[in-house]
Amino acid sequence: MTKFIFDLDGTITKQQTLPLISKHFSVQDEIDNLTNKTAMSASFPPPPFFFIESFIKYVYILKKLPVDEIAQLLAGVELHQKVVDFIKKNKENCIIATINLECWIKQLLSKVDCCFYSSDGITEDNKIVKLTRILRNEKIVERFQSEGEKVVFIGSADGDIEAMRKADVSIASNLNRKMTQGALSVADYLVFSEEALCYQLNQLL
Amino acid sequence: MLSTKSVIISCAGIGSRLGLSTTKALIDFNGRSLISYQLELLKDVENIRVVVGFQANDVIKEVLKYRKDAIFVFNHNYFETKTGASYYLGAKDGNEFAIEYDGDLVVHPDDMKMLLEQESEWIAYSDKTSDDGIFVKTNSIGDVLAFSTELGNYEWTGPCCIRKEKVKYSPNHVYNQLEPYLPMRGIKIRAYDIDTYDDYQRVLKLTKEW
Repeated sequence: MTKFIFDLDGTITKQQTLPLISKHFSVQDEIDNLTNKTAMSASFPPPPFFFIESFIKYVYILKKLPVDEIAQLLAGVELHQKVVDFIKKNKENCIIATINLECWIKQLLSKVDCCFYSSDGITEDNKIVKLTRILRNEKIVERFQSEGEKVVFIGSADGDIEAMRKADVSIASNLNRKMTQGALSVADYLVFSEEALCYQLNQLL
Repeated sequence: MLSTKSVIISCAGIGSRLGLSTTKALIDFNGRSLISYQLELLKDVENIRVVVGFQANDVIKEVLKYRKDAIFVFNHNYFETKTGASYYLGAKDGNEFAIEYDGDLVVHPDDMKMLLEQESEWIAYSDKTSDDGIFVKTNSIGDVLAFSTELGNYEWTGPCCIRKEKVKYSPNHVYNQLEPYLPMRGIKIRAYDIDTYDDYQRVLKLTKEW
């Protein structure tokens, strides 16, 4: 059986979620400061755990924001509907793997209605107080492979490089035209439209 | 319901014999890029798979001007492999029949239309136009019996079409991948491939009237 593991940001959503949160809550400057610093310190290829470190810094800035408002904001994010339709039609074999926090994206992912893996944290008074799990999507790829599944990974960012490298088939999904060179260096396929992505997914069924 | 055919355009090579410092897909062909000419021939094909390697970003940019729905296939090992590897990579997750179209190939539009209407498997060849090509030995009804570097009635140009599961990995040439399946149905077409600068000049003249 083939399992399809999708990254969330830019692959299923039309917008990147973390920048959307920072813009909405006017913490853009803090985030920009962080992303500029991390971009400047990143080499190519990025060092191991670089994206995890970035994510931890993101959460450090965003943890003070009300969880329910973030969840509501993200629930309104526009989705790549053809991709969502493919997932719904093949929900037993589709999985979403995202480093995003479960409390932020659960409402959003209820619209997609498939199994998902994410990072997690403890909340108190509607704010995050502690990160308890940071998802590495390559671990999800390995897990399904160890069960004898053929794994197709669909992603779009440097944070997906390891998962794409480990997957049996990797598709770089450049629907937002923000593909990174790192993802291209390991991808088997590259698509620029939902039609092309869904065509390739159907060919892999 | 997917179409039964995929067309794999192999554009990964560095075009070293041509010597124009650009991958062949991007060379000027009568006022347009060669890949745009090829995509025009293939405009009615549902599943176009473009195998990229050398100058991948430039090729991708050019293809997207004409086909937003193209699927790009990476041959990351393009320095070490030939078109056989690209054909395999392009075919393996494609539709039932894999049509191989070499990125340096120019086919007459009417003949390409005819080829796309064919059912099942076939090999296309043309009249001989060079002394150092790969030649095709055929029987009286045009079936392909063998490929040869020395003797043959016609010149191997491609395209070809076989079932995707028959396309085995090879770091060598497409005709090497076809050899185990010979004899196969052959179809004579008007086509030229552009390997050298002389080929390029000659093909530009020969195709002016097409």
